[in-house]
Amino acid sequence: MSSASSAAVAEAIRSVLRDTGRTAGPLEGPMTLAGDLGLDSLDLAQTVVILERTLGVDPFRATSADAGRPVLRTFDDLCGIYDAALSELESAQPDASQKISEK
Amino acid sequence: MNAALASLAPTSASAMALISDSPVEDRLATAILTVAAESPDRTAIVSKAGSPGRTITDYATLAARVAKLESQLDAARPIGVVARVQTPESLVVLAAACGRQHVPLAVLADDAGDLAGELADWLVLDDSLEIPFQAAGPKGEFETVAPTIWVATSGTSGPPKLVDHSWDSLLAAARLSDQWHSLAWILVYDAKRWAGMQVWLQALLTGGRLVVPAARDPDVVARAIAEEGVSILPGTPTLLRRLISSAEPALVAACGLERITLGGEAADAALLANLAAAFPQAKISQVYATTELGEVFRVQDGRSGFPAIWISRALPGGARLSVRRDGELIVQLSRDTAEVATGDLVERQGDRFEFVGRRSDVIVVGGAKVFPKRVEELLRLVPGVAEARVFGVPSPITGELVAAEIVAEPEAGWEQLRSLVLERCRESLEPHCVPRVLTLVERIVTTSAGKVPRRR
Repeated sequence: MSSASSAAVAEAIRSVLRDTGRTAGPLEGPMTLAGDLGLDSLDLAQTVVILERTLGVDPFRATSADAGRPVLRTFDDLCGIYDAALSELESAQPDASQKISEK
Repeated sequence: MNAALASLAPTSASAMALISDSPVEDRLATAILTVAAESPDRTAIVSKAGSPGRTITDYATLAARVAKLESQLDAARPIGVVARVQTPESLVVLAAACGRQHVPLAVLADDAGDLAGELADWLVLDDSLEIPFQAAGPKGEFETVAPTIWVATSGTSGPPKLVDHSWDSLLAAARLSDQWHSLAWILVYDAKRWAGMQVWLQALLTGGRLVVPAARDPDVVARAIAEEGVSILPGTPTLLRRLISSAEPALVAACGLERITLGGEAADAALLANLAAAFPQAKISQVYATTELGEVFRVQDGRSGFPAIWISRALPGGARLSVRRDGELIVQLSRDTAEVATGDLVERQGDRFEFVGRRSDVIVVGGAKVFPKRVEELLRLVPGVAEARVFGVPSPITGELVAAEIVAEPEAGWEQLRSLVLERCRESLEPHCVPRVLTLVERIVTTSAGKVPRRR
């Protein structure tokens, strides 16, 4: 749980679980999204919408045109996808990181 | 206020006969001139009603403007006129004069600017209604042009487009019998769209008074209704819902409405019940009409939807309704006309067909359909929710996701309300129908046609 996005991703998942009447225990990197956390595709879609607002990126939209989808099984996988998208954004727009740190 | 009411004496029987016997394209001009001759200072139009800037146009003034424009049109003979006017008074004068002079008229709403290219050779008139002394452009042949009126559709189901109507179809729904004469109508619709045109045509064809509120703000509308003695309110369910939920209660209580005509969107049972409680004296009818078809039917029994026995039998106006397997309502106006798919989806519930939404409004979440109207109806029943709009937002994972905008009652705290809304939705809706994006907003935006937009 040390990646750039893990805190935001964890908070997004917690709020999705809260919204759907579930409670969230501690989130661990190797936990699977579907099995351990019980997130279905709707939950994941909502998580992505929340993270688009908090982090300013939607990596799934960007990768949809690519040949292969990234592996997305665990909490760490999800954080990794956001980390990659954030660093890509940072290299494209130098002041993007500044914007995020203000949040 | 009382002086204005007193001048609303009934039109004489001979004047009424003169109006209803005139050719359709002449009828508006004939009505204005006939009423002006009989009672020149009768109020025709109250503009900016409900505000200190209220202005009155009487029938004599309106008739003089019609006569002046008619003589100018007769001299210039443009092949058509594009109405680029802002005030309802100018629009009425233009329609009356163009109709009787057999000049086609295009009525463009403010957001239909790009449509004007189709009408490049037509004469464009603004509120001054002054035709340049020697108007440029081709001239129309006297009396050979079919009198038509072009109206832009509201664009609820796609980009606005121009549809040409004969005066016959434009006036088909107007009622000219005694009981409809000399009443006061309020115009909350856009005067340049089909629904709004129906209101001002109806009012001025029958010696009535057209009341145009200064703004669509619920307080202004309620004040205009109360102060001007308005008896008939045609409006969309969205406008009515806002009026009874947001206007000052004392103003709503002062409205002496006798009739409410709902159109443009389907009304739900909750709204019908709330309207009956807020305006106990008013008859409430629901009109089913489209810009392309005009009025198809009216439901007067105060219930939502329409009776199931109406399917596959001729209605009083001659139209036939049928429902396709996928639930889309099909209308055939008469035996000689083609069937028209309306885009409205209906569902049999007991002895009624209820409207479940428009085909184009359906949100598809992970392959499953969501009807936003149903979700909205549920949201409005949650205590603390004043108004709600449900729409789809694109999602790379599920295609779309259900989103909702909510207007909260003044005393409701957002975090608590949000939890309650989600809880109620989870109890009553399938998981894919539960809104996943909830936003608190000050007010719900409406289209210029007074409807709730369905796409972000």
